[in-house]
Amino acid sequence: MASLSDMASSPYPAGTVRALLATDLVTEATRTALLARLGAPEYEPQYFDAATYELLRMVAARLFPQPDREAPIELAPSIDQRLFTGGSDGWRYDVLPPDRETYRLGLGGIRESARVMFGQYFELLTGAQQDAVLRAVQNETAPGPIWDTLSANRFFEELLAELTENYYAHPLAQEEIGYVGLADVPGWTKITLNEKEDREPEEGEMVNW
Amino acid sequence: MPDEETLEEGVLNPVKPEIQDPLLQSLLADSAAPKTPIVPEPAPLEIPLPAETVDCIVIGTGAGGAPLLARLAMAGLKVVALEAGPWHDPKKDFATDEKAQEFLFWNDERLSAGHDPVAFGKNNSGTGVGGSTLHYTAYTPRPQPEDLHLHRDFGVGQDWPFGYEELEPYFEELEQFLGISGPTPYPWGPARRKGYPLAPLPLNGAAQLMQRGCEVLGIKTSPAANAALSARYYQEGVGWREACTNRGFCQAGCSTGAKASMDVTFLPLAAAHGADIRPNSYVTEIERDETGKVTGVIYQQNGEEQRLRCRHLFLCAGAVETPRLLLLNELALSSGHVGRNFMAHPGVQVFGTFAEEVRPFKGIPGSLISQDTFRPKDADFAGGYLLQSIGIMPVTFAGQVARGRKLWGEALRQYMQQYNHIAGINILGDCLPHVDNFLELAEEKDARGLPKPRLHFTNHENEIRMNAHAEKLMRQIWEAAGATDIWAFPRSAHVIGTARMGLSGDDAVVDANGKAFDVPNLYICDNSVFPSALSVNPALTIMALALRTADKFLENQK
Repeated sequence: MASLSDMASSPYPAGTVRALLATDLVTEATRTALLARLGAPEYEPQYFDAATYELLRMVAARLFPQPDREAPIELAPSIDQRLFTGGSDGWRYDVLPPDRETYRLGLGGIRESARVMFGQYFELLTGAQQDAVLRAVQNETAPGPIWDTLSANRFFEELLAELTENYYAHPLAQEEIGYVGLADVPGWTKITLNEKEDREPEEGEMVNW
Repeated sequence: MPDEETLEEGVLNPVKPEIQDPLLQSLLADSAAPKTPIVPEPAPLEIPLPAETVDCIVIGTGAGGAPLLARLAMAGLKVVALEAGPWHDPKKDFATDEKAQEFLFWNDERLSAGHDPVAFGKNNSGTGVGGSTLHYTAYTPRPQPEDLHLHRDFGVGQDWPFGYEELEPYFEELEQFLGISGPTPYPWGPARRKGYPLAPLPLNGAAQLMQRGCEVLGIKTSPAANAALSARYYQEGVGWREACTNRGFCQAGCSTGAKASMDVTFLPLAAAHGADIRPNSYVTEIERDETGKVTGVIYQQNGEEQRLRCRHLFLCAGAVETPRLLLLNELALSSGHVGRNFMAHPGVQVFGTFAEEVRPFKGIPGSLISQDTFRPKDADFAGGYLLQSIGIMPVTFAGQVARGRKLWGEALRQYMQQYNHIAGINILGDCLPHVDNFLELAEEKDARGLPKPRLHFTNHENEIRMNAHAEKLMRQIWEAAGATDIWAFPRSAHVIGTARMGLSGDDAVVDANGKAFDVPNLYICDNSVFPSALSVNPALTIMALALRTADKFLENQK
């Protein structure tokens, strides 16, 4: 597999979204939401204990490896925050217990499976070993008694979906995939295939919205 | 309920709220001094008696409640709408950001059971003045006449208690009133008296690609009918609404007013004619006298309980909250069908990667439609479906990739790099009712102390065959259009049928006019009354039913 830096780049040059946020092409409501994520302060867990929160961060780092970033986009804070305030996305698989319980059990299950599979704390495993544990959870082959009471693949699906949505809600991740839909003041007139507004920067050009 | 509560003589209150939610319990136990109160301050024991009785209370301000409210207000009745969510100012409040817009969804937890659990939240629920129309895609195809008699044609499902001709005048009225953009003449279905008032919205990249693939396969396509404006339009009670800017964010709230959500169409019209719309008003109890007649409702507004009396009650809270309120209040249950017949549209999506730049965030998500699959010649199932092109917002797409493709790590980031080259097609097809698919009240309680709804859903043979037929066809379309890396995301859409209408109180909750068989002054109008799911998006039909229900009610009051 190609490394992240070799990937086909997005059709916009680096810095596009950050530059866009500073322009009057973006409404105040949109700018406020995205800047809050871009400049999120350091986060102290409020729901998880320190060790479990660290485990969640390490799991997130395997599910969303970010070797290309100096500081990774933090994906655990909004999970901790949501569980602390009791927030919901409106539904839950009936086979899973309430979200707090699901996360507590699920992360405990990952710990347990790591011990059974490699005789070691998940935190101390190599990246490849950690991936093997996570893959086993996803495939419902992970060992450990917790998985008798918690649906492993549904837990994994929920965890992965929440981390994924947190990641791609971040302006830098949106820049990575070439999403500039936040330019909501003018909207779009050139919307067909291979078509760009004059203001949309070309690859290799200076970003000048 | 506390004994001290002042109840009127003869008024029955079957709802028994209590805090049982393990989440909330542990929350209260964990944080002795929470920074912000999670539960509202205790309500006053005495609920004030209102000074007056209104003619009609309408619960819910979505596609069911809003048109009806306007009609009743215009007839001179004193009407109050109770909406659980807040009143937004979209131009100021709505961000072009999926996470920031999550307040538009009904986020009280619903439990999804069965072999094919249905996703709720952003998939198919809404709250706020305007209901789910605040984030509907505004697809407004009419159903075909045959959609209303699936049983007559195939011997399965349930026929509607009236024919297409009953709804047709309302479709026409709605298309003209809302300013629907669409092709004239419309390529499928019976000839129409009037064309769409506005030309279709422009095709985006995904639509062009679907058009290309369908051309190769000989499938007829057309720009879709959509309730977003392709040109500015004068709205009675509102003024000029401006044309759509192709912002592509219909499903997370339109900030320009171009999309005909209820808050920029029927609700201002209703208010201009004297309707009283009360936001943040969550109905918990429906009161009635010993004869079974509804006398009023109790609702929570800004932490306080309020009581409002009415002569007639219209329940328009959607196919989950409507049956939930009925079950909680032990109301209109004599047919045994409240909560049953839960249907969800088969809605499998097929995505592909293209050499061209698509930029799927531009333009209305589904600008191209085909209804050639309404009754496919080679079908091994009853009914049929329509095809729509899909452009998609990035967070929604990424979440579906995670759930559907099960990618993670570098593979997921790598796949998502192709976002600007991705296009989709999805279907929306009929669904048959089945005894296994129903809504019930769970033991688990929500933060208000009320039982959460649990919805059981399993695709049965007809849905499985339809999805398979559709997936195969959509894969062929994408191959013909030049896609690579084609994959399917299984999905169920709208929630339908949980308080259905019919000819007899033995197997239906309301009659053909939307009136409950067993409660003299209760009406239901939303997607819960649909006897069958139809092969089209439901919003236009819900609105048509709303106008019809109001007209039938007004006729009977004469």
